Amino acid sequence: MASFLATYDFLLVSMVLAAVLALTLYLPLMAGQLSVASPGFYALGGYIAAIMSTRIFPPGPGLYPVSLVLLEMAVAAVVSGVLGLAVGVPALRLRGIFLALATIAFVQILGVVALNLDVTGGAIGIFGIPQPFSSAIQYMWLAVPLLVVSMLFVARLERTRTGRALVALREDELAAAAMGINPTYHKVLAFTTSAVLAGAVGAVSAHFINTWNSRQGTFDTSVNLMAFVLVGGSRTFVGPVVGGLVLTALPEALRGIAGVDVLPAWLAAFLRDGRLIIFGILIAIGTVFFPHGLITPGLLRRLGRRGARPG
Amino acid sequence: MNRTFLLQQVLNGLAIGSVYAIFALGYTLIFSVLRIINFTHGAIFTIGAYATYALTGSQFGINGLLAGAALPFRLPFVLALLGGSIVAALAGVIVERLAFRPLRARGADPLLTLVSSLGVAVALVNITQYLFGAEPYSYPDPLQGLPSAVNFGTAAAPVLVRTVQVVIFGVSMVMLVLLTYLMNATRTGKALRAVAEDMTTSSLLGIDTDRLILLTFVISGFLGGVTGTLIGLSVGVAGPYFGIAFGLKGLAVIVLGGLGDIPGAVVGGLIIGLAEAFVPAQYIAYREAVPFALLFVVLLVRPQGLLGRAQVQKV
Repeated sequence: MASFLATYDFLLVSMVLAAVLALTLYLPLMAGQLSVASPGFYALGGYIAAIMSTRIFPPGPGLYPVSLVLLEMAVAAVVSGVLGLAVGVPALRLRGIFLALATIAFVQILGVVALNLDVTGGAIGIFGIPQPFSSAIQYMWLAVPLLVVSMLFVARLERTRTGRALVALREDELAAAAMGINPTYHKVLAFTTSAVLAGAVGAVSAHFINTWNSRQGTFDTSVNLMAFVLVGGSRTFVGPVVGGLVLTALPEALRGIAGVDVLPAWLAAFLRDGRLIIFGILIAIGTVFFPHGLITPGLLRRLGRRGARPG
Repeated sequence: MNRTFLLQQVLNGLAIGSVYAIFALGYTLIFSVLRIINFTHGAIFTIGAYATYALTGSQFGINGLLAGAALPFRLPFVLALLGGSIVAALAGVIVERLAFRPLRARGADPLLTLVSSLGVAVALVNITQYLFGAEPYSYPDPLQGLPSAVNFGTAAAPVLVRTVQVVIFGVSMVMLVLLTYLMNATRTGKALRAVAEDMTTSSLLGIDTDRLILLTFVISGFLGGVTGTLIGLSVGVAGPYFGIAFGLKGLAVIVLGGLGDIPGAVVGGLIIGLAEAFVPAQYIAYREAVPFALLFVVLLVRPQGLLGRAQVQKV
């Protein structure tokens, strides 16, 4: 167990953080809104943590205090939330393809700005971000509670009036509006919550990755998140979490399979270097054959019944 | 800002804008028929650029499965451009069969089709990278022997237009004229417009809609391939991912012109080309953000695009 943790420490933390990020795409999608803005807020949160920890707080001897990381997460969450509100109120009058396009543009603009500002370190970015822990696996102390809290939050949300209003908006916006659900209010709420969460994840990731630049939180991240949610499942919060965990581990698993001697050399090489090809094909196949993802509420109910049955 | 400078920037803007326009027409044609955005368009742009490179008989670099490989023959550049664009058109056919037809058959949500086409785009770009590596390529210069720029001004106040700009503007205009002719003066064009207007009715009237949708993907892929080669000729082929970046920029063009609107795509392309050309020199680093800033503003102010009509939602 200890050697497993030591070998895969970086991967395990990445999996947990990816699962939280997948939830940030899932939140607006609960209301039927495909927004790929969360990589932008993720990048913003990372920059806030990187700037605060390298410029504002003086580097002391020993490890960087965890309390300051928590403070950075809070600041990142608040700033992302405010920006989310500012972008969300006008943008969420759009729907469908138009919202997806607007959020793609938002991520692109943030990327260019980050690449050119002095405070974000330009093309090089910010490096040498101080470490609050002595080993990578200890980042679990931040990542796991973040995942658990956000899962509890979304699970709870799905059963409240607000959550049901979001689902009603997804099924039929006009009908929901006719029944007194305010579409803009609920969509902005989901969008802003997603921004807050993405900002907090970014703050943790900046410390975890140790360096932060304009290649973090780009359109590539948007594609990954869509894969997590759409392959995992877009109708229950369990889907994105499982999608984020499994699909982040998939490249490593493929690398592991490639190491088995039985495979012909060309196949092993393909599994090692062609993982993004496999990723793309999975997204395409997933949407064609499993439009609601692999994990659906129906599947969870069946599993629940089987678990409850004696014997 | 004096007149020579103004003229120079207008010419620069028109040259690049004309390429944006024909690239965006590839999106627009498919959107006008299927009401979906084909995210593979950027990947097809990449495929066209690489296919042309291969057909000129040039060698592939050091990374990738086909490192050091080259075709046993070399075509003159014009034929390579044509051949590369035909390869891109075939890629369009494959994309339609694999990513779009299965979803259309079960009447899937347009957003799902968008995501599926994104998946295919990621796969295509990475297949290109897997085969040919990630290094940049540039074409063997087909304009050798010609002056590198033409002076449209006087010796004292030069207005220099690079020969390659003249070429890409010329090819774009030829494409535009051919497409306008096809759409407005042929029976096929009439059928295409009918399918764009109402697929069910035109199918009832005996139009083979599946065949026309396939044709749309062929034309769109061909346009994507031509643009990939033209941009490759102008600034070089900067690795497989440059199609994705260019593809995102193309989205700004179609939104500006109004989704699915053919004259709108042309106007949108020219506006974005001109807007980029007029970014002041001290803010040049922000030029890449200009199309997206325009996209964002237009979506908020006039989601139907500059030339489009507002859509009334039917219940």
